[in-house]
Amino acid sequence: MSLMVAVSACFMALSFALLTTLALRHAVLGRRDQHTADAERRMRPLAIGLMEDGDPVPDLSQADQRALATVMGRYSRKVSGGTSERIGGYFREGGGLAAELEGMRSRRAWRRAAAAYALGDMACPEVVPMLAAALEDRNDEVRAAAVRSLGRLRDPTVTETLVESLVAHRVPRGMAGAALLQLGSDAVPELRRIAAHEDAAVRQVAMTVLGLVGDSGDADVALVALRDPAADVRAAAARALARIGTGSAEPALREALGDPEHFVRAHAARALGAIGAYTAVPRLVEIARTDRFKPARAAAQAVAAIDPETLVAEAAGPDAGAHLHEAADLALI
Amino acid sequence: MSVVQAILGLLSWFALAYFAFLAGLYTWFTLVAWRTLAALRRARAYAPLDEIYASPFAPGVSMLLPAYNEEAGVVASATSLLALRYPRHEVIVINDGSTDGTLQQLQEAFDLVPVREALRSRIPAKPLHGAYVSRRHRNLWVLDKENGGKADALNAGINAASHPYFCAVDADAILEDDSLLRIVKPVIDDPDGLVAAAGIIRIANGATISGGRMLDFRLPRSRLATMQVVEYFRAFLVGRIGWDSLGALLVVSGAFGLFRRSAVEEVGGYALGTVGEDIELVVRLQARLRERHAKFRIAFVPEPTCWTEAPEDLKTLSTQRRRWQRGLGETLWRHRRMMANPRYGAVGLLALPYFLVAEFLGSVIEVFGIFIVVAAVATGAVTVSALLAYTAVSMLIWILLSFSAILLEEYAIRRYVHGRDIAKMVLYSLSESIGYRQLNAFWRCQAMVDLARRRKGWGTMPRRGLERPTEAPPGRMTRV
Repeated sequence: MSLMVAVSACFMALSFALLTTLALRHAVLGRRDQHTADAERRMRPLAIGLMEDGDPVPDLSQADQRALATVMGRYSRKVSGGTSERIGGYFREGGGLAAELEGMRSRRAWRRAAAAYALGDMACPEVVPMLAAALEDRNDEVRAAAVRSLGRLRDPTVTETLVESLVAHRVPRGMAGAALLQLGSDAVPELRRIAAHEDAAVRQVAMTVLGLVGDSGDADVALVALRDPAADVRAAAARALARIGTGSAEPALREALGDPEHFVRAHAARALGAIGAYTAVPRLVEIARTDRFKPARAAAQAVAAIDPETLVAEAAGPDAGAHLHEAADLALI
Repeated sequence: MSVVQAILGLLSWFALAYFAFLAGLYTWFTLVAWRTLAALRRARAYAPLDEIYASPFAPGVSMLLPAYNEEAGVVASATSLLALRYPRHEVIVINDGSTDGTLQQLQEAFDLVPVREALRSRIPAKPLHGAYVSRRHRNLWVLDKENGGKADALNAGINAASHPYFCAVDADAILEDDSLLRIVKPVIDDPDGLVAAAGIIRIANGATISGGRMLDFRLPRSRLATMQVVEYFRAFLVGRIGWDSLGALLVVSGAFGLFRRSAVEEVGGYALGTVGEDIELVVRLQARLRERHAKFRIAFVPEPTCWTEAPEDLKTLSTQRRRWQRGLGETLWRHRRMMANPRYGAVGLLALPYFLVAEFLGSVIEVFGIFIVVAAVATGAVTVSALLAYTAVSMLIWILLSFSAILLEEYAIRRYVHGRDIAKMVLYSLSESIGYRQLNAFWRCQAMVDLARRRKGWGTMPRRGLERPTEAPPGRMTRV
């Protein structure tokens, strides 16, 4: 009995403590959020002046300095060239860079991850080796933040490191893909080189990204990859040719319509549609009628892209099938 | 002391032990939730949402919106799904043989045109009357099919989905615009292992919504709905996080859940003939994947938010709770071979026994517990002061858990910024143990009678629609 009373008293005390914490927390957070929003609003003109004209920064309170750094970091994601250099200069001279470099050495994983993320917004290219080394960090969030920041800093020398980290599953595929995409056309020479890598997974990623950041001058690499022994690489090559391919890719893509893997056939059909391969229409119609769901749908959509009139005529036939019907109806909208 | 007194005394101590077990489990889950949400709060500083949005590797997602007589809210829901911030998604509304103006509302709002859509046939589903695509939003499809229930509608949607992941969303639900980016994050982190992900469900009755978007987060005016707000906090911020930490998550709410399409196709899609198709699918996925010794994860993600309409009257709430209990009972029966079976790891040894004892039979224990303790006091087996102490302890446990859940919400997520709303939640937590809990237990006992009578069907609820106050037709509700 006395035990129950004691337990009740404990619970009541705990409930009271939780309530007090809740009230305090609500008051503190509400005020802090308001102050942060106000400070960021005040710092915005200062940040723009600093970035555009190199205006000097007046003496600021610590809270305002933090707000200015937040605003500058946000803007750095959208600028380049001289503006970017001025942002880098601000963080170097203002101590922001030094603080985050210190954060990278923290024993706490979340602090290292936050630092790795922040470094990507400081426009200081000298941190690239440290971020590349962070791709080996034992914590996955630190690695993910590092790969994101390497993308932001757009240094093409890290292309192969990024691809290898992606293939080795050290960093999330989606994050590394976004980072490689941010490197843009500067990464093309490296991507062309690693498109012949011994590891099929590396070749696949190289082809995928080359298809996104390359141009028609890189189609030769994709045409070679279309005969790769690995089906995933062939599919990535066909997907790349949909964007960077020209009429010269048509024979190889038509051949790929006979690939044993259905997803390669689907990508080849899409690529033929994208490059407008008129002579491939009869074969595409046949695939739309007879193949599995994915290549058949892709082939019908390719016919819609190349020659809508033929598609509508074929769809009116007695043995047109569901995919030609669907593509024809969509083409008529 | 007579034998009767001895038995009653023993039973009352058993009831106390049961409460102590639950309190212990929830205390443990609360501690896990604190740790998880503290990490989540810190991780916000480096959440790569913009990068996922820009990534060519972000997986395509098909949003499935089954709708049966949902004319009050279906347009707002579809609009909110179309407005989601995500690089590659389509919306498939499945009109499951509605007898109201659901299809007409969609046609008027989105300028639909008929299309002879090519569908996969991997999962059997009732035949289609037609398929439509929107002239205004080419990623919006509407399937008009014969009525077959929610599970059948979802199966038809899976057959029509063109992306590798699908997200099932209730037609009365509104997603926040970055919910899809956030729920996909575990897929980005572990694309080979992630099979399903659950988001958090919140109650939207008091919120201001316009154009399918949440403008202001306020508590409902209805007392009953406010009571459910705190209940949902406990269920999601404590329960789901706890079970996720054990790798034994059994519920991915039908209102908002992401699934790998191929995994669901392999297990045959949603099961027909149960009102708990969401929990049943997850338990079946857990069973098949564990039997295959596959490395997989079914995750709970606390930030992606789905807002849904809660019942505001006792009759509707009882219908909903009875249905949930029936769904749970049906699932436990279908998968009884997994119960206490070490082959299924934490699911067989912990989660299913917990759901059987605490969630399913718990209502019986609670209702009979009250009678037993009163009888024990009447016969002198237990003193009045002991009864009062017992009552105080059991009430304080739930008050403590509720306060803790509110604090968790305030600490890590903070959707309710008005102090008055927080105070209101605290006050309602104090009164939850008087009446509301007992009513819930009573409804769940009634559901067991329904099960014994093999009662089927979803029941009905008057729906007002989240965006506009209309007199609404019967509809369906969401599992918590």
